[in-house]
Order: sequence, then C-alpha cells, then structure tokens
Amino acid sequence: MIDFVNYALNGALVGCLYALVALGFVVIHRASKVFNFAQGEILALSGFMVWTFATGLGWPLPAALACSIVTATLLGLAIERMLFRRLAGAPVFAMVMVTLGLLVLLRGAMLVVWGAAEKPFPALIPMQPVIVADLILPRALLFGAAITVLITSGLWWTFNNTRIGLRLTAVSEDHQIALSLGVSVQKATAAAWVLGSVISVIGAVIYLNGRSISPMSSEIGLAALPVAMLAGLESIGGLVVAGILIGVVQSLTAAYVDTRIGGSASVIVPYLFMLGVLLVRPAGFFGWKTLERV
Amino acid sequence: MLLPLRIRRPVMPRTARAPYARPLAGSWSRAGLALALLALCLLPLLGPARLVSVVSLMLITSIVVVGLQINTGMAGQINMGAAAFMGVGSYTAAVLSLRLDCPFWLAIPLGGASAAAFGLLFGITAARIKGFYLAMTTIAAQMMFQSAVLNLPASWLGSSGGLSIEPARLGAWRLSGDAGVYYLALAYAAFMTFGAYGIARSRFGRAFAAVRDDDSAAGPMGIDVAGTKTLAFMVGAFYAGVGGAVWAYSLRYVAVDQFSLFQSVWFIGMLIVGGMGSILGALVGVAAVRGVQEVLTSYGPDLAAMFPGLGNQLVFASVSIVLGAAIAFFLIVEPRGLVHYWYVLRRSFAAWPLRY
Repeated sequence: MIDFVNYALNGALVGCLYALVALGFVVIHRASKVFNFAQGEILALSGFMVWTFATGLGWPLPAALACSIVTATLLGLAIERMLFRRLAGAPVFAMVMVTLGLLVLLRGAMLVVWGAAEKPFPALIPMQPVIVADLILPRALLFGAAITVLITSGLWWTFNNTRIGLRLTAVSEDHQIALSLGVSVQKATAAAWVLGSVISVIGAVIYLNGRSISPMSSEIGLAALPVAMLAGLESIGGLVVAGILIGVVQSLTAAYVDTRIGGSASVIVPYLFMLGVLLVRPAGFFGWKTLERV
Repeated sequence: MLLPLRIRRPVMPRTARAPYARPLAGSWSRAGLALALLALCLLPLLGPARLVSVVSLMLITSIVVVGLQINTGMAGQINMGAAAFMGVGSYTAAVLSLRLDCPFWLAIPLGGASAAAFGLLFGITAARIKGFYLAMTTIAAQMMFQSAVLNLPASWLGSSGGLSIEPARLGAWRLSGDAGVYYLALAYAAFMTFGAYGIARSRFGRAFAAVRDDDSAAGPMGIDVAGTKTLAFMVGAFYAGVGGAVWAYSLRYVAVDQFSLFQSVWFIGMLIVGGMGSILGALVGVAAVRGVQEVLTSYGPDLAAMFPGLGNQLVFASVSIVLGAAIAFFLIVEPRGLVHYWYVLRRSFAAWPLRY
C-alpha cells in the first residue's frame, strides 16, 4: 500500500514538472494563437544558458540564473522581432510552420555550439530526497511542484482578470479582430515568447537539476505535449490537473505494468490516454470550444 | 479598410490552377518531361556512382514527400508522423520478404497498404478532433510506432537490432547494386508521382482543396469533411509506406532509429522549401534539401576540423541549421516556395515578348 502511495505521489510530482513544461506551450498559444513546436528545444537552450553561466563561466548559481532569465527574455524578443514581426498578417498556419523551422534550427545550433556530448548540469536544488514517514520524495520535484502551482495560479489569474491578460486572450482568439480593437498583436506575440522562454528557464532548472544536459534534453517537450493537449491548449489552470493525472497514470503504469511485461508501456500511455480523452472531449478538459460558422 | 495588416499572399495556392493540377498542358511540357525522364533513365549508365546513390535517395524521399504534399499541402492536414508511416511500410516489406519470401513487387504495395491502415487508425479521429489537436495525434502515431517496434519480442521485428533483408529480385536479376536500387526507386517514384497528379485532378483532389481552404464551408458544399480528412491521412500514409518499403529494399536494413520524429519534421521542411500545394514543389524541395545535405556531407571533413566536438553529428547539425533557416526564410519571403520561381520563369518564357 505504501508503495502505491509512493508511486502515485512521485507520479504527481513528475506530472507537475510536465505541467510546468507544458505551460510554455499553453502560454504562447494563449497569448498569440501560435502552437510552438519548438518548446522542447527552447527548454534545452535555456538549460544550456544556465549551464554556460554556472559551469562554463563558473558564476555563482543565483547570478547564473538571473543572467539566464535576462538572456531568455532577449531570446523571446529576438524570435518575435526576427520571425513573427515579418509574418504579420500571415495565416496562423504559416506561423506554426515557422516554429517547426525554429525547432530544426535550434537543434542544429545547439549541436554546433555545445556539441552532442552529455554535460553534468549544476544542482541548484540539493539532491537529498525529502523523507516524510515512509514516503521518499525528490527535493527538486517537490520544489518544482510548488513553483508550478505558484506560476500557473498567478498566470491564470493574470490572463483572466487583468487588462493585459485579456488583451493577450483577445489576440489568441483572432488576430484581425484583436487588431481592429486596438490590441497590438506584435506586443502580444513578444510577450508570449518572453513568457514562454522565461518559463523554460525555470522548467529547465527543475527538470535538469543534478542530471546531465545534451541537445536531446528537448525530448521533455514531447513528454509534456499530452499534458497540454489534455488540459486544452487555452487552459492554464487545467494544466496542473492534467499534469498530475498523466503523471500518476504514467508512474503507476511504470510500476505495475512495465515490470510485468518487461517493456516500457509507460512511454506511450500518456499519448493513449490523451487520444482517448480527445475522442470524448475534442478540445481537452478545459480548452475553448469554438463555434464555427461559414 | 484601415486594418494595419499587410495583405499577403496565401501560404498555399488557393485554387487548383493550371500549373498545379495539370503537368502536361502543352507540347513544351511534354517534351521537357520526356527529356527529364530520359536523363533519369540514363543517369546510372553515364553519371558517377556517388551521384546515382544520391539521386536514388532523393527519389525514395520524394515518394514520401509527395504523399505528404497531398496530406498537408493539398488537404491542409499537418502530418507529424510521416516517418512513422514510412517505418510501418518499411517493416512490413522487410517482414514479408524475410518470413514469407514475398517478391518485392508484392511486398512494396503491401507495405503501403499496411501504412495506410495504420494511418486510418489516426485519420479516423478526424471525425471528432480538429486543427492542431489532430496534428498532435500523428505525433502519437510516431510514439506508438517506436514503442511497438522496441517492445515487441525481438523475433518479430528485431527490436532495437533491426532487420536485414535480401535484395529485390526480378527473375534472375538482383536489384542490389547502386544501379539496381536506382531503377527500383525511379520506377516507384515515377509511378507514385503520376498517381499524385491524378489524385490532384480528381474529385478527391478538389475535395482536399475545399477542406483545406475552409473546412466549415466545405461541409455545406456537400463534402464529407471528416471522411476527406481521413482519406488524406490514408493517402499520405500509403505514399510514406511505399517510400519506406523501397527504402527497406535499397538499404536492405531496417531499424527503428531511421524513422524518428525529426525525419518527419525534415519532410515538412522539404515541403515548405519546395512549395506547399504543388507536387512539382515537393520534388523540388526534396532535391534542394537532399542536395544541400550531400554538399555538406562532402565538405564534412573541412567542417569537422572547424568543430571538433561534433563528431558524427556534424552533417545532421549543419543540414539542420541550413534547413531551419530555409524554412523561416521561405515562409517569410516566398511562401509559395522554390517552385514558384520556376512557374514565374515558365510564364515569362511563354508570354515573351509581352510582360503578362
């Protein structure tokens, strides 16, 4: 029984990490209507920034983190300036395709700059697990779960209640209508990418804490994708729910099914779960159900 | 209208106009096509061996990308699982030829058919799922393909070790050398490309274009929208499966890491560089990207001296940078792709000495 609780709790914590990574997808979509295929690559790039400042240059960790956040902000602004401003007025389809280009470009650039070898990532959060009674919980994930809940609730409130948040929401509904109401799509896109990159830095620090980093770290984006789909691409609050759900399902599959069949069913279970839910609710649990008229 | 919007050309051609749908209008085009086919047929006899193997890789890739063009360019459904469908076709052909001693002319279409069945599994979700959620289900296809191959018993699909197969045999002729593989790829690529032009001209092609341009308007026009999307995924998967089966016979070795998600992204990149919505564009995109890849491979040793940390990832990294930049460039500067320059050239040649 205690094993079951342990697996479930650890799954929930991993799920919160997925939610944090998926938050990058959702925030960019919720503020600019663009689905960012390159989110995993941006997370890996953010991780490499932290690595460069902390290990490469040997700066103290808080300074490295602060510098990484500043660099991520600049990266977000640069992406808007170099790609999306030139695509103003283009169909959303083209903007999404540009993020595919960004994915390919960043993967290649990271290989050239940092190489394919795995590098040890600094541990910003101590590695000793937290032990409560018989439960063993990784400290980084526990810390990450708290941050996830904090950031998602903050962003959820901002997007639904403040003037800025509602402007971003308007852009994610329709670019042309937002423009004609005096909302700047340009600024919204810039805000979306800055938010997405800064969240990636936080996600990278928690995900990679004490592990090793390589360009393949971007695969976490694929693991987090079902969470974003399950919550619905427009729902920030739903991410934590969906993340915990998928994390628990995956962890229990890994613990009880994988050991029996000797395979790794836990890798595809989130996707199967997502497919099943999408067939019943095509816009995820909390996504916008759009009414389409000709 | 005072909207601060620049009016832009659409990413994809809005209508199936003559140059996109009818390849053989006019005697010049026919002569050009005959000449191109003749050149392709003679290439192994006259060209260097390296060129022959590069062109056969282009031909195999073009089968997959032409299918993706129908799926994504014509029907507007993003397919992120082309590599998985290619893998299904590849493994089917390999298993058929290994276990049942199936001849290649049967194994290759059956590879396509099994990929189409796999595509149906995901295309059928189009009845309920729309937009980017639908594109995501094709990523699920990729995940499930990889996981299935790696987790099934090694005696079935070879697990991570892969499968080795015998070369294709036509009577006493073994299609094993560069030239044999080349003619196999050429035959299938030519056949599938002509088929694609047929699809573009047919009522299915028009239905694809209608669904792409506006799926909520296509319904009231009498088009079965979900069925058309499912069909688009099936056609795309069939092409990918045939391409994968030819790939299996050309490499004579099938392994799961040949069919990664990144391959699918490359295929989409080839579409964008070549030109969305045009079959000729798919061919141009494949030739351009594979050509750049070949050039970078041949300059590999020089590049390796500049970036010693890269090792065997070098070609992949450099092609990725070029391709990523090219995708962004074409979407921003010329959304109709490289092939549009060819259409402009052809039109100005036909209209000369007048400007229009």
